[in-house]
Amino acid sequence: MSDNNLKKIIGKVTDLPTLPRTVLKITELVNNPKSSAKDLAMVVTDDQILTARLLRLVNSSFYGFPQKVSTVRGAIVLLGFDAIRSLLLTTSMFDLFSNKKKKGGFEQETLWDHSLGCAVGAKVIADYLRYDKVEEIFVAGLLHDIGKIVEMLFLPKEFNRVTDMVVEKNILMVEAEKEVLGYTHAEIGKLLAEQWNLPSKLVNVISHHHHPELAGRFLQEAAIVHLADILCRSVNIGSGGDNKIPPLNREAWDSLQLELTTIEPIVEEMDREFGDIGLFIDHSP
Amino acid sequence: MIFLALKDLKPGMVLSTPVHNFHGILLLSKGTKLTQKNIRILKSWGVNHIGVAGRSKKDRKKATVPDKATKRSVQANLTKKFSDVLDDKVMVEIMRVAGNRLKKRSLNKKELNERQ
Repeated sequence: MSDNNLKKIIGKVTDLPTLPRTVLKITELVNNPKSSAKDLAMVVTDDQILTARLLRLVNSSFYGFPQKVSTVRGAIVLLGFDAIRSLLLTTSMFDLFSNKKKKGGFEQETLWDHSLGCAVGAKVIADYLRYDKVEEIFVAGLLHDIGKIVEMLFLPKEFNRVTDMVVEKNILMVEAEKEVLGYTHAEIGKLLAEQWNLPSKLVNVISHHHHPELAGRFLQEAAIVHLADILCRSVNIGSGGDNKIPPLNREAWDSLQLELTTIEPIVEEMDREFGDIGLFIDHSP
Repeated sequence: MIFLALKDLKPGMVLSTPVHNFHGILLLSKGTKLTQKNIRILKSWGVNHIGVAGRSKKDRKKATVPDKATKRSVQANLTKKFSDVLDDKVMVEIMRVAGNRLKKRSLNKKELNERQ
């Protein structure tokens, strides 16, 4: 039965909205070591909305560059290829979510808040660790629960059964998913990430955010998102769909080498930044 | 605003209401920052109580410490949420931090409501 279900989901996943063509093209360019900032700028400037967003993001307080950046090429040189891809991925994710907002209603919005909170949390933890690819970790946080969105939009009946069971038994969503579906949002998210040809770092974080010890060489990234997920839930930033805290993975915690005393400043910073960042998202063109 | 007896006034306090003498003549206008000399003048005119900017101790306490009901509900929710994971000292710390944060947030919300 569970095999059939998984097949059904894979079928559904292929119907999922694909990422905009420009983003796919950019992913290709970024993956190609021969491409230059000029190539990338050409693709971005073809798309006016993308250009506007990129420039606004680069000039936002998120980066805090002292001077205004006015050209796409300038932005690319300043931020680097990976960062640009992450930024564009982020903005297209926002589209994907916001187009579907009406359909999912309240639950989807709180799940969205949770994803955004987790992204901010991951960024704050990464800052503490002096991890250098902050944009990537931000996107990883944003996408970690993408499997839940797939369930919500494409398996609404099953998803309702899952959420009912979560309330009834007061358990984690992951556990209810295993019982109702036979697999979890992490596995579905992985399928989707692979379908979208996302970098393997993202695929691994999405698929192992509950078990970072299985993420191999991406242990640190998965551990950051794992901890951010727990911290967000602890202070009720959005909702992961249940009212429980997943257990902290020992290996993940040890790998981060954080002091216990850093938890308080991290949580405070996360909460504050979550309040700030909501602003730039609501004003997307 | 709080009302203080003349003996409790200190230089630097800011008047929240204008002060008149018994003839109704304005002695000091609203917003005046008190000086030692002002206080002496008030004394010589026999003024008893005046209103200055600030919060009473009771109000201050209210604003920085969440009420018992809030505290209790925050704690109850956290306990329920964390019930299965508290065998880990990191989780214990996360729960403590979250408790502080949530209580602080409820205060900010309250203050915002009061201001509106």
